[in-house]
Amino acid sequence: MKRNAAGLPLNYRLAVASRCLAATLGGYLLASMASVSIALLAPLPRVDATLTGLLLSFVFYVLAFIWCFACRSAWRAWWGVLLPSVLLGAVSGFAYWMKNP
Amino acid sequence: MKEGFRQAMAWLHTWTGLIFGWLLFAIFLTGTLSYFKDEINHWTQPEVRSHALDPVNSLGLAQRYLEANAAHASNWMIRLPNAREAALNVGWRDPEAGRRGFVSKSLDAQTGQPVEARDSRGGEFFYRFHFQLEMPYPFGRWLSTFCAFIMLLGLVTGIITHKKIFKEFFTFRPGKGQRSWLDGHNAIGVLVLPFHLMISYSSLVLFMYMVMPAGILASYGGNTGEYFNELFGRDDAPKAANVATPLVPLPTLYAKVEELAPGARIGFIQLQNPGDRNARVTFTQSSADNVAYRRSTHWTFDGASGALLTQGAPESGAMMTAFSFAGLHMGNFAGPWLRWLYFVFGVAGTAVIGTGLVMWLGKRQLKHAKSAHMPGELRLVEVLNIASMSGLLLAVAGFFWANRLIPVAAEGRADWEVNTFFLVWALSLVHAVLRSGRRAWGEQLALGALAFALLPLLNGLTTGQGLDQSLRSGDWAMAGFDLTALATGVFLAWTASKMLRPAKPVTKRASRAAQKPTVEGGEVSGC
Amino acid sequence: MLGSALIGFAGFVALCLAMEKHFKELLGRKPQVQQLRVLRVGGWLLLVLSLVLSVHMRGWAHGLVEWIAVLMAGVTLWVFALPYQPRLLLGLAAVSVVLGPLLAVLAV
Repeated sequence: MKRNAAGLPLNYRLAVASRCLAATLGGYLLASMASVSIALLAPLPRVDATLTGLLLSFVFYVLAFIWCFACRSAWRAWWGVLLPSVLLGAVSGFAYWMKNP
Repeated sequence: MKEGFRQAMAWLHTWTGLIFGWLLFAIFLTGTLSYFKDEINHWTQPEVRSHALDPVNSLGLAQRYLEANAAHASNWMIRLPNAREAALNVGWRDPEAGRRGFVSKSLDAQTGQPVEARDSRGGEFFYRFHFQLEMPYPFGRWLSTFCAFIMLLGLVTGIITHKKIFKEFFTFRPGKGQRSWLDGHNAIGVLVLPFHLMISYSSLVLFMYMVMPAGILASYGGNTGEYFNELFGRDDAPKAANVATPLVPLPTLYAKVEELAPGARIGFIQLQNPGDRNARVTFTQSSADNVAYRRSTHWTFDGASGALLTQGAPESGAMMTAFSFAGLHMGNFAGPWLRWLYFVFGVAGTAVIGTGLVMWLGKRQLKHAKSAHMPGELRLVEVLNIASMSGLLLAVAGFFWANRLIPVAAEGRADWEVNTFFLVWALSLVHAVLRSGRRAWGEQLALGALAFALLPLLNGLTTGQGLDQSLRSGDWAMAGFDLTALATGVFLAWTASKMLRPAKPVTKRASRAAQKPTVEGGEVSGC
Repeated sequence: MLGSALIGFAGFVALCLAMEKHFKELLGRKPQVQQLRVLRVGGWLLLVLSLVLSVHMRGWAHGLVEWIAVLMAGVTLWVFALPYQPRLLLGLAAVSVVLGPLLAVLAV
């Protein structure tokens, strides 16, 4: 990135801030949704499925962070975490509804 | 972020490393100290006498004390003395007393009387600080766990960034300025990587139920208690029948456990509804016996009749995974030499963070080497670096000095030891602001060297249990503490001498090299 | 466990020497391709041997943990002491190759 004389441009700073939010908040959402999906869908006893979901959640959080800073724009960062979150949320919602009619 | 993937990860590594590095350094340092928590406790409360281990006798003493002092409590807890912990610990639930409704007492393992030792949080202070940060519940845990996540992220981004991770696996080139710092940072990162990854990930596992509750809520709804019951293979304690029935002598139950699990050491005993018809006594195998935490090594007896009711259910694969991470993090299974390795690797982790912080600043300082003043942001980083590293070490020393200097019977002395820790830390920050970088480092490191190196002498003069005494009587915990303090002092003296020596003039080549952005080896241009 | 640690240490030294850069630096001559290959295979074999020993003596849980711990300790000592005392460390490695298996045989 080119530095201009007065420091970094504002839109750069906003983009970085946006990516940070996408990573911390969006990433947490994604990790939680992944955790819930695994807990509800894994073919294991309930306690083991929940436990596995918890254990793997952090992998998703790390991946979300990496995505948010590796992708080409702050917009893509948000899409990259929100879209899977919504999908996983829908899948979990369906699984939850199936388990608790 | 239009550069490549590796550079983006280098940027992420550098910036998360800086922002969270100061706190992570503190977490790692205090966590490392925690591996010798019991030994530190022994040093800070030298009045607690160790005796030859006699679990049966200790159990009897504990039962007698609890029956006399906690007869109406619904829950008792007994922790037997072991090779590292001399005192017999008892506790009970009392909603009107103690911290969070739980009273804890240390008893002498031979007499069963409460230990008459100076009030001090000792090793427990550093242990709790490293995951609670002396912040109110639950904020400290949340913050420290997020820091642990950033550490994990830092390790992953560091691995991605380190292009020559295999080529430079055995590479360390001292005496070359920034290159050496980077080599060192990479080397202690890569060579001890299994430990760093384990420690970071396992920290997350320990509090995952708290920070990632969504899965539990989705599976168990509002009844999260059921999750824990299923996880630990226990049922809710039966309600008290309100029929007074004497508790069986605990040593008889202990004998039964010894038959069921020959050779097992017993860690702690939990009693529910003691003195009632529906009393339950659960024996748990010592965490020193197995790497992973085990739920299967629990034996529950009827407290009134003495009959064995249940043994802990076997662990599933998922449970063994989670429990293994917990056990690996705690390191309770480690014998003396492995415990020292835990300590060394903890220091290595602390050093990874510390070298990173130093490099972050050092690299940017080179760019401003010609100008008289450092830009404000860099000066801020410099001050925080000094206060969070040498300042923290001074604070640790200060805690131990306070422990020996505050009168043994003084009211609230435990709190004053902790206050000293924070006061010294704060003063180090002020000092770092007032002095120039190199001088602040040098002066703090030199003072730290003195403070640590003189601890054994202070110990000997104030308690009579100095090195001459502890080495002679084979009190390895006491001697080990004093010797480690001495070694720390020597190390800090060496680092202080490097800082107090006049700085090498920055060569033209070095400052020109800093201007050119490079991608290889994780060197990052200002972004 | 010391036997396993020494064998593991020797294994890492062999893997280090299997890299041309380090071979030249430490042994002062140009290596033949064959020598590097022998060192590489030998190094890995020694590491595996130290693992087998560790697990045999201490079981899978303790054995695996202690193996990783002693390997990390050994290789860290090697890398950081190397610039200062290369000959001492090479001597240590030579002793390890002999003493390690000896201790292992005695312990097993």
